[in-house]
Amino acid sequence: MIYLDYAAATPVSEKALRAMEPFFTEDFFNPSAAYYPAKLVREKYETAKNEIAHLIGAKGTDLVMTSGATESNELAFSSLLTPVNQKVQARIQTPQNLPEVLVLETEHAAVLENAKRFSNALVKVDKNGLIILDDLKKKLSPATRLISVSLANNELGTIQPLAEIAELVRSERMNRLRRGNLTPLYLHSDASQALNLIDISVARLGVDLLTLNSAKVYGPKGVGALYVAHGVKLSPVFLGGGQENGLRSGTENVPGVIGFATAFKEAKSHFSSNRKTYEKLTKILETELKQSKIEPKFLKHKKSSLANFCPVCFPGLDAERLIYKLEEQGVLLSTGAACAASKGKKSHVLKAIGLSDAEIAGSLRISLGRLNTEDNVREAGRLIREAVDEECNRIGEGDE
Amino acid sequence: MNSFFEGCPDRYEGGLRRPSPVTTGRENAVFRSAPWDAARAKLDKGLSTASERGVVYLGMSGGVDSSVSALLLKNAGYKVVGVYMKNWSRDLPGMKCPWAEDLADAKRVATKLGIDFKVFDFEKDYKEKVVEYMLKEFKAGRTPNPDVMCNEEIKFKLFFEKSLASGADFIATGHYAKAENGKLLLAKDENKDQTYFLYRISTSALEKTLFPLGEMKKPEVKAFAAKNGLKNAYKKESMGVCFVGEVGMKDFLREYIDLNPGEIRDVSTNEVLGFHDGAVFYTLGQRHGLYLGGGLPYYVVKKDLKKNIVYVSRNLNDANLWSRELTLENLFLRETPDKIPEKISVRLRHRAHLLPAKLILKNPENLTLNADNPFSSATLLFDQEIKLPASGQSAVFYSGDLCLGGGIIK
Repeated sequence: MIYLDYAAATPVSEKALRAMEPFFTEDFFNPSAAYYPAKLVREKYETAKNEIAHLIGAKGTDLVMTSGATESNELAFSSLLTPVNQKVQARIQTPQNLPEVLVLETEHAAVLENAKRFSNALVKVDKNGLIILDDLKKKLSPATRLISVSLANNELGTIQPLAEIAELVRSERMNRLRRGNLTPLYLHSDASQALNLIDISVARLGVDLLTLNSAKVYGPKGVGALYVAHGVKLSPVFLGGGQENGLRSGTENVPGVIGFATAFKEAKSHFSSNRKTYEKLTKILETELKQSKIEPKFLKHKKSSLANFCPVCFPGLDAERLIYKLEEQGVLLSTGAACAASKGKKSHVLKAIGLSDAEIAGSLRISLGRLNTEDNVREAGRLIREAVDEECNRIGEGDE
Repeated sequence: MNSFFEGCPDRYEGGLRRPSPVTTGRENAVFRSAPWDAARAKLDKGLSTASERGVVYLGMSGGVDSSVSALLLKNAGYKVVGVYMKNWSRDLPGMKCPWAEDLADAKRVATKLGIDFKVFDFEKDYKEKVVEYMLKEFKAGRTPNPDVMCNEEIKFKLFFEKSLASGADFIATGHYAKAENGKLLLAKDENKDQTYFLYRISTSALEKTLFPLGEMKKPEVKAFAAKNGLKNAYKKESMGVCFVGEVGMKDFLREYIDLNPGEIRDVSTNEVLGFHDGAVFYTLGQRHGLYLGGGLPYYVVKKDLKKNIVYVSRNLNDANLWSRELTLENLFLRETPDKIPEKISVRLRHRAHLLPAKLILKNPENLTLNADNPFSSATLLFDQEIKLPASGQSAVFYSGDLCLGGGIIK
């Protein structure tokens, strides 16, 4: 089997698995219990949280641990539910008086669906999938309360210039203060896809809220975190025992968080070598694919993308058929975004970067990871090329 | 496709025990003469030369039956185009509609076999022709059969027409039935025979329909699938539409029909035994979902829609449940009345035994052949008393293997 879908899921690292194990069995205690062994579990939990926080240049107390990126995003959007100074609200009118939010049009459903609950506007991307900052400026109003832009896109791997967006946010805040407008404005970013390859520092990015996801960084699924900058007000999604600073009640997922911390630390130690390795592997893959009967169109933005992403399109082919053909050969990869593909919807991301329907239908999302080698990537490239050629032949025959 | 009554063995037994299901565990048996060769021989027969056998549009659901059909047709030399009919996709509370998975499974098989694949979207038509009809019937206190309607209106009408317009010479489905020269015949696998759901399909469609599984038994189909590496060989049977499948009609109806609480009374003593949330949700002979406490089960024996009362009895021999006579309406005849013998066999529910009966048509001279006859009427006289099916269900007539048509029970 050659797995080429690391953007969808990563295998849990050996190290993370081992680190988690004792917390399922002998150290199973509820960290909130009063007796000493439970206190030790609490300590280990808080240590793991601190480690995760330090990896992004934050403190453990800045993190709310969640069940994954979807929940983290939901929690980030809960900032819109917190009441704002009465005087401010009276002065600023939005449709139906809903809080106003700006999201990038290529965001994941976990952000887009959330945005729909509020007065929202979509910020456009260019043909490389990069945010058009002028469009953001144009849509930013004195009533905007949240901007959500993922650090790296989950279909294309495009890395957004978060620091520049943060700069805009800062100057907007200044303008508001100057005019006596006290409406808070926060910047949120979903960094799920980026943890493996980008050295993240919340200070450098300038974000107020940052979504982290264990499942994409060789940690267990069902674990995530939201970084919450000091002073940002959120409303809890779950009520109950008051864990995670009262923002996320429920017994802590001790093994999950410890697995996440271990896996994230391990990933960070690979950062420098990762980039070069993946650049080399993608080159090998591209060379193979270029020999197909159809000229492939590589969708990746050369300058600002995750190195392990290789989105490619074979115009005129049906990518889904390629997936089914390749699974027979043991090559596993995705069309556009997995969730969209399964419901037959066209990828909104590929549409946003201006691809035609035929190009979208023929698009594959290849994302490389730790188990890929030069040999197996070359082999996968050959098998993809063969599947492409077979499909070309089938279509050719039909036309005669 | 199975009826939603599947899994409710207490209903519509037609006076006799339903046949025991096929023994499982034989799926891997080796068959001395490969049955698929017989199936293939059948597909070969009477058609144009092997080299230009023609284009077949095959309805594919992702299940094992249509998948095997695809391979049989391909092996027989047809150019096969797999088509997924998207009839329903709306999730309802607690009901995950399996259409996306089914579609993916169908496409996976088509890709594996190297055949073309299309999706025909009939959602709007299905809603208008099948769902609306169904709701109307239920609201009138009847128990319609959506599968019969879907075959008549969607699969063997819209799918047939659209396929031909797209270049098909034939259509095919994975039904267990036989079609010969426009005649509808029982399948070789008596236990799986699906002609009960097909009796209202038009002859013009049938003339151009292939049923590749007509000569095969279900275990043979499964063995064939396994032998040919069709992944879905052991997949749960596809039901196509969520409310016909796992979750059930009653939950579906509660989404569309207002609840209307009323009394459940004992039919003999008139005593109030409990309450229900709408008489229309209950079906004659129904035993489950009455919540009348322990002890012997109660059966629904009568409904008074005007007063919204459901009458029940513990007595399976209650006179309301049994009769020798059955009135039918809205007939669909596949043979002219003079060709219908005096003694016919009747099937009152899918997979039930054939029951001997006499068919008395009212004004047979006014009947149109191969069409709905909304104002027609007929009586069935059975040799023995039968346990009555609910009104709205179908009674289907046979003479030997030949399906003569049928009607809706009044």
